[in-house]
Amino acid sequence: MAESKLTPNPSGGQESVPPWRDIRIIGIFAQIAFVVLVIMGAMWLLGNVTDNLGRLGGFRCPDGTSSFSCGYNFLKVDSQFDISESVIDYDPSDTYGRALLVGLMNTIKVGVLGIIFATILGVLAGIARLSDNWLVSKATGWYIDLMRNTPLLLQLFFIYFGVILLFPPIRDAIQLGDLPVYLSQRGINMPGPVFLPSFATWLAFVVAGIILAFVIWILLGRREERVGKASNRAFWVVFGFFTVSIIGWFVASNSNKLDQSFMIAKSERILAFTDLADNMERRLGAANLNEIDLMVEEGELTSEEVDEAAYTLCVISESASEVNFTAELRRLNIPYTVNRSTRPDQATAKYAAGECEIYVADTVILTGERPLLEDPFAQAIVPTLERPVRISIPEIEGLNFVGGIKISPNFAALLIGLVLFTGAYIAEIVRAGIQSVSKGQSEAARALGLSESQRLRLVVLPQAMRVIIPPLTSQYLNLVKNSSLAIAVGYPDLFAVAFTTLNQSGQAIQVFLMVMAAYLTLSLSISALLNWYNKRIALVER
Amino acid sequence: MQSTTSRFGGSAFRNLNLRRYWLDNVRRSWLQTIWLLILLLVTIWFAIGQLQEHFASTIIIFVVWAASVIWTAVSDVRRSHRPMTLWLKTNLYGSLSNVVLSLLLALILAFIIIGFFDWAVVRASFSTNPTVSKIQLERKSVDGKEGAAWGAVIDNFRNLMVFRWPTDQDWRLFAILLWNVILLIPSLYVFRKEVFRRSRIRRVLTTLWILTPFVVFFLLRGFKSDGLFGFLAGPIPYLNPDIAWGGLLLTLIIAVFAIVASFPLGLLLALGRRSKITGIPAWLTYGALGLIALYFFVTRSIPALAEAQTTGAQLIALWPLLLLLIAYLFQRYYQGNVVALASTVYIEVIRGVPLITVLFMSIILFPILLPPGTEILSTWRVMVAAALFAAAYLAENVRGGLQSLNKGQYEAADAVGLNTYKKYRLIVLPQALRAVIPAIVGQFISLFKDTTLVAIVGLIELLGVANLISAQPDWLGVRRAPYVFIAVIYFVGSALMAWYSRRLERRMGVGER
Repeated sequence: MAESKLTPNPSGGQESVPPWRDIRIIGIFAQIAFVVLVIMGAMWLLGNVTDNLGRLGGFRCPDGTSSFSCGYNFLKVDSQFDISESVIDYDPSDTYGRALLVGLMNTIKVGVLGIIFATILGVLAGIARLSDNWLVSKATGWYIDLMRNTPLLLQLFFIYFGVILLFPPIRDAIQLGDLPVYLSQRGINMPGPVFLPSFATWLAFVVAGIILAFVIWILLGRREERVGKASNRAFWVVFGFFTVSIIGWFVASNSNKLDQSFMIAKSERILAFTDLADNMERRLGAANLNEIDLMVEEGELTSEEVDEAAYTLCVISESASEVNFTAELRRLNIPYTVNRSTRPDQATAKYAAGECEIYVADTVILTGERPLLEDPFAQAIVPTLERPVRISIPEIEGLNFVGGIKISPNFAALLIGLVLFTGAYIAEIVRAGIQSVSKGQSEAARALGLSESQRLRLVVLPQAMRVIIPPLTSQYLNLVKNSSLAIAVGYPDLFAVAFTTLNQSGQAIQVFLMVMAAYLTLSLSISALLNWYNKRIALVER
Repeated sequence: MQSTTSRFGGSAFRNLNLRRYWLDNVRRSWLQTIWLLILLLVTIWFAIGQLQEHFASTIIIFVVWAASVIWTAVSDVRRSHRPMTLWLKTNLYGSLSNVVLSLLLALILAFIIIGFFDWAVVRASFSTNPTVSKIQLERKSVDGKEGAAWGAVIDNFRNLMVFRWPTDQDWRLFAILLWNVILLIPSLYVFRKEVFRRSRIRRVLTTLWILTPFVVFFLLRGFKSDGLFGFLAGPIPYLNPDIAWGGLLLTLIIAVFAIVASFPLGLLLALGRRSKITGIPAWLTYGALGLIALYFFVTRSIPALAEAQTTGAQLIALWPLLLLLIAYLFQRYYQGNVVALASTVYIEVIRGVPLITVLFMSIILFPILLPPGTEILSTWRVMVAAALFAAAYLAENVRGGLQSLNKGQYEAADAVGLNTYKKYRLIVLPQALRAVIPAIVGQFISLFKDTTLVAIVGLIELLGVANLISAQPDWLGVRRAPYVFIAVIYFVGSALMAWYSRRLERRMGVGER
């Protein structure tokens, strides 16, 4: 009890505080009582869990004992369920652990894309909200109010069941304007890039271009400071970057000439890609392939004749070679028809059976497949021009789309819903951030003679960012957490996969612990990243 | 000075410096030029599309736009603005890009409004007879686009409101409504007047308000005949909440319960997180955790180390040493304050995971966490989970309010000699809570909207009923109309709360003191 005597008496009186009224002693006892209570509660719950799991069989090891780590052995068991879409390879014979990983990747995918698009939409809407055009600012305001005052889940249901699933089936797919973008019950199909092997070469040039751009930016900045006169930094940066990238494009297109090839019977006497065009001209009796349409119109040729003469191609579906080759044929206006197979051996069989006259694939595949043909030496392998990136355009073939990027209706509904919803919140944050910069700052910038873009970039935005970043962080976190609503629209995100896992394996506690740990990790990493950025831009207080 | 001739005479165009206008509106920067070009192209493309779809409305918009632009331009050149043209100039036609943008937006808005009107009124059917409705919708449909089947909403109105609540028990709902209205009307007067501050009426009203949740609860649930109030089971029989509660009724029950129940818990968590009470002394922390670590080291680590094959396994086997690290961090960052630690962990874990995991956990884990044989209705589980979830968010809002309070207020309360309870009750909380009213109401609004999530875990609230309608044989596949209807309900509810929050803010003078 000596301790209580040492307590300074706040009232300055003479008598000391008795121990049962000493705030320090009360505090320590309260703490200990709290710890005891928490431990007792935990023991009670744990007792119940063991009682319950004793019947359900929870953390049971194969040898009959039970241990914490044995509870996770189910992760190595085959999952036996399919996942409709995944970033990494997956099939039902993979383990529960891999299924959960697929779910996590899907969550990250929708989270990253959602954050990017929601930020773009939010910034645009936030600026539009402050527009001096009354109509623009009002319309944005209505959008924000509508999104913020209705539940996200309702919006998701509406977009998924009320819009996307009511789209027509594939054969009547809606085309957006004249663009090759198709909306159907099966989702959205749109053009997408296809990367060929020479992409690596080009990428190196692009990276070099970015580095060069940075160097130019810094050097010109130093020069500006030295000379005391502004130069057109942005122009030189863009110019430097594009020059290097364009040079890289040509280098990459011409360096890998032996990578893409096609196989054709030697009797056709085709030794180079350009011979294909000449050969077609001879077949059709046309002076120039660009005139085919005209000739058909004028009746010199029938479209049946053109179809008859068209090259028939054997390709492996979804391969970059196909996109590369057909793009080149289209550029030269050479008519062709495509015969797709899923595997090289099937394509080879079709080619051997004479179902097509040209076999398009990687040079490696072709040289591998040629010896399998009946008369290998009667076949010529001709290299094709290759571009680092080709745009693949979706086309309806039978009951499906071929080529391009496919976005499943589930993913589309989830992403659109999350972006529209979060975008509205971000818009309000951006608006508040910009409004928080006092008018005097803008006026001062104008008085100094800064241009509008300089005013925004150097004066307004850096100050607005300080206000924007903290609430923006919590919106990003909300977006990632809200992506768990995927289960309502059938997108296999982490939570949906975990729920299926839980139902099949019955390991409720372990699965929930893992899901919570995963979401906590995601949340903590996002907030750590943005806190780091926030600290960098925060006001240095004196 | 403007002369009459310059206003109306031939020299009016002296005010128009076209070169200057061109420079200002088109050539100020290349970005602006590109923006203007894109805007023009998009507008022309959209206008052509609209001309083919809705000829009349597009022409009307175009004529009105052109006339008002010309009127404004002429007024501007002549420097003779009327209020109307001045408004048009400042708000719609301020610059060349704004002129085009206004047209584009007017066309887009017309497209949306006409589209919605067509769907909701022109092509819609209001018949509650499914066959008639189907025929009407087909007859009115324009190239395959059908209107709203409002009949489904009207037909299912009772389902949307109360779902399976027995019709002969409706009087209980009206009684609840009546109870609240009767309390509300005098309260609005009594709680606002200073005269009643110490009057008995106010005390009676407060007591009745505190009793309200219990009255409402028992009216909604009824009495079991074998319970303590078994004699009341006759007039107010027991209704199983899992069955009888549904639709908007369930939405409101969950939202109100979560709001009311999360408030005290959130308050406690916020105070706990900020508590400065003396922590467990360092020697006790290190001693206790050290002993536990030693125990586990001897019983678990040593045998595991002997068995371990790889370095990784050896490192994992050393886990009891982590307890010492925890002890250090606990002393370093929390000064031994367990209450603060526990509150922080609770708040951060709950805020870090989605509500849907918490709801599913309540459905699946509650039976595992409670003694075997305990049966709890899903409705209770979900309500408790929603309240526990909301409490963590509320705690952070309240903490914000507590932090915003000047230290002098605490010191002043101490100086006056108030004890801890009175200090918080009379000085700290009133000010702290007032500062965070907007945040708390925002929290309640999102809680109200988040009640939709219970539809995923199988309770039939508003959204659940809307989903069920589309599964009815009569209204198979009817989705949009019910969704729009409940969206309106949520919109009105949220907007009302936001409006009330702004009013409350103004009345309490947030930001003025």
